[in-house]
Amino acid sequence: MTRSATLDHAAEPWNDRDMTGSPSTEHPDELAPRRRRVRPLPYALLVPAIAVLGLMLGYPIIRLFTLSIQKFGLKQQFGAAAEWVGFKNFRSILGDDEFWAVLRRTVVFCLVNVALTIALGMAIALLLQRLGKKMRLLTMVGLMLAWSMPALTSTVIWQWIFDTQYGLANWALGRQGESWLSNPLSFYFVATVIVVWMGIPFIAFTLYAGLTQIPQETMEAAAIDGAGPWQRFRDITVPALKPILLILTSLSVLWDFRVFTQVYVLQRAGGITRDTNLLGVYAYRISIGANQFDKGAAVAIVMVVMTVLMTVFYLRSMTKQEEL
Amino acid sequence: MRMRKIAAGLAVLSMALAACGSDEKDSGATSAATTTAAAATTPAATDAPAETDAPAPTDSTEPPPITGGTGEGGEIRLWLNGGDTPDDFVEYAIGEFTKVHPDVKVTFERQQWTGIVEKLTTSLSSSDSPDVIELGNTQAQAFEAAGALLDLTDKKAELGGDDLLQSLVEAGTYDGHFYGVPYYAGARVVLYRKDLFEASGLSVPTTLDELLAAATKLKADNASTPNFSGMYLPGKNWYAALSFIWVNGGDIAVQDGDSWKGDLSSPESIAGLTQFQQLVEQTSGAPKDGDDSKDYIAFCNGEVGMMPAPGWKPGQIINPDDGCPDMEANIGAFAMPGLTADTTSPAFLGGSNLAISANSAHPDLAYELLQILISKGYQKQFADQGTIPALKSLLGDISGSESAVAQAKAAENSRFVPSSENWAAVEASSILPDMIVAISSGADVADEAAKADSAIEEILNG
Repeated sequence: MTRSATLDHAAEPWNDRDMTGSPSTEHPDELAPRRRRVRPLPYALLVPAIAVLGLMLGYPIIRLFTLSIQKFGLKQQFGAAAEWVGFKNFRSILGDDEFWAVLRRTVVFCLVNVALTIALGMAIALLLQRLGKKMRLLTMVGLMLAWSMPALTSTVIWQWIFDTQYGLANWALGRQGESWLSNPLSFYFVATVIVVWMGIPFIAFTLYAGLTQIPQETMEAAAIDGAGPWQRFRDITVPALKPILLILTSLSVLWDFRVFTQVYVLQRAGGITRDTNLLGVYAYRISIGANQFDKGAAVAIVMVVMTVLMTVFYLRSMTKQEEL
Repeated sequence: MRMRKIAAGLAVLSMALAACGSDEKDSGATSAATTTAAAATTPAATDAPAETDAPAPTDSTEPPPITGGTGEGGEIRLWLNGGDTPDDFVEYAIGEFTKVHPDVKVTFERQQWTGIVEKLTTSLSSSDSPDVIELGNTQAQAFEAAGALLDLTDKKAELGGDDLLQSLVEAGTYDGHFYGVPYYAGARVVLYRKDLFEASGLSVPTTLDELLAAATKLKADNASTPNFSGMYLPGKNWYAALSFIWVNGGDIAVQDGDSWKGDLSSPESIAGLTQFQQLVEQTSGAPKDGDDSKDYIAFCNGEVGMMPAPGWKPGQIINPDDGCPDMEANIGAFAMPGLTADTTSPAFLGGSNLAISANSAHPDLAYELLQILISKGYQKQFADQGTIPALKSLLGDISGSESAVAQAKAAENSRFVPSSENWAAVEASSILPDMIVAISSGADVADEAAKADSAIEEILNG
């Protein structure tokens, strides 16, 4: 710490809690008198950040919520007065069997994809650690290319690979004419391949960065004590990486929960749309496709609420982890 | 500990990523439409469900805009979509306009069909609205009902009156008011391989039964070609199935007083769909759940005996970039025959309407430009190109390829989707493609038709 202790403490908002509660060991009693003199500077410094956040996140969310309790279609978009309808949009959505089917599908799809992405990402991270310099560089470049490719481009290419008549997959398997997209399960298989393929690089790089921070001595000591590779992985690597794993999992959940491009493009190429909608595409079809901005907003609000709940859950389990 | 730092760094990074994400989503609009989309997903630059039947393939590279006039007397903007209107047509129109108004600047901005509904939704409701726009005929009603377009009811006679193509007038009329002026049309025809017809000893079918027999014979005679289609019918191509429904006397939905009643499960429609299913099962080698975007590849591969297609399709087939120019001499076309000789099956009529934005700053100038676009001099260019012009009096002038002539014949007996402001929502929920995909894959016709009927009724009756 190079700055003065006073500034440092004041700038950390969570110190408020320490001051009102029992004095922590880190901050001795000298803090107590400062409590009465409220210093405006730190709060003033927070204003720009909060203003930007409020504008960029707050306004759209408030607008979205307003939309969801109005009747808002194309007419209202062109200037007609929007009627307030309370929670009618939510009732109509939550009362629709299709919404629940889509929600179930989305949750299952999300969980499967997150599990696969994390597991394979971890496997590749471990592989990177053991590879020689050249192969490691080659693998990293490959991962980088997969990561940097726009979602639309890679989806279109994967869709060609799985094309019914001219696709590489059918050619290699000798199953020409086999439709991968017409059955919802194999449709989701293709979608999963694309989503996981695009999700792995970030996970692998981050976990690899984490792996390099685990002290080699600990591993050696465990090996000398007779711990096998699986034991070392379970009892040393995973606990050490736990904070990273938790954040990566929660990020992946957020990303895979609102997956859009992959499903949307595949639906255009084949398959039956009503059996393959996920929440993101479903909201888009309702709001933009059918001009029911009000109902679409209600679906989006449900998505936001679920996302926030999941994030809170993960952040809480992460902070608990750190308190241990 | 270092792990904590990495985790903290990740958290910061994720915030940054999230922020970038929301920037992308806000692309160019503050409207309600984009707000909804932004919170839900990132549709980004994907292609969108803007299906009309007329889009021709175009380059995405944008040439410098075509403009005219000095701008002292105001400025108007013209939006036309896709590649159906060549640049020299537009130059002609702007030239005519600036003869009368040399001080008015006209800017032409070519738009892509893909995503046009979203773009119009945001731009027409903004203060920076284009003045004259082109709409696909299945898209027009929604904008008319929303009050986005200028009411042209009292100008209808001046714009052509009874000479205007009837089905496009219907698309341009909402609640008795006329907003969308017919621009051009395209009807679906059947393309066939002349050489394969000759090899199988077939002549152009004159009735629907002959067509079915020809498809079966072609399939049998070319059994050695993998994926061969006597009639190429991918499942998402629902336009093709419509002809079978209509020719048997069925329809998608019929208006009954104030409400719509689904008609797909009427005995007539079921008969048509069953005929369609048999044709698919016995003669089509196309993907049962595919769309028609790759049909020209199948045609070039020699896998197609006949296929329903819009009139501009031969141009795509012989395009030297990814088509097969050698095939040109083998491409024939005819209007799909009806139940008896010398009749045609009703064809789906695709096309466009022109309209003036209700937010136009210069509605009078915009109207004068619109008058030029519907004038005989301008519309004649469409006829010469082989596109169906919006004026009936010019239908006889259509010249060009065999498919252009077949298209003109098909257009004489053409039909359209239900004229409802909610039709766009039916297309957005992809009800008809879903039904045809299921039927093509062997599902029970009556079950699927009943399912589609109830879904369509729910949307059309709001």
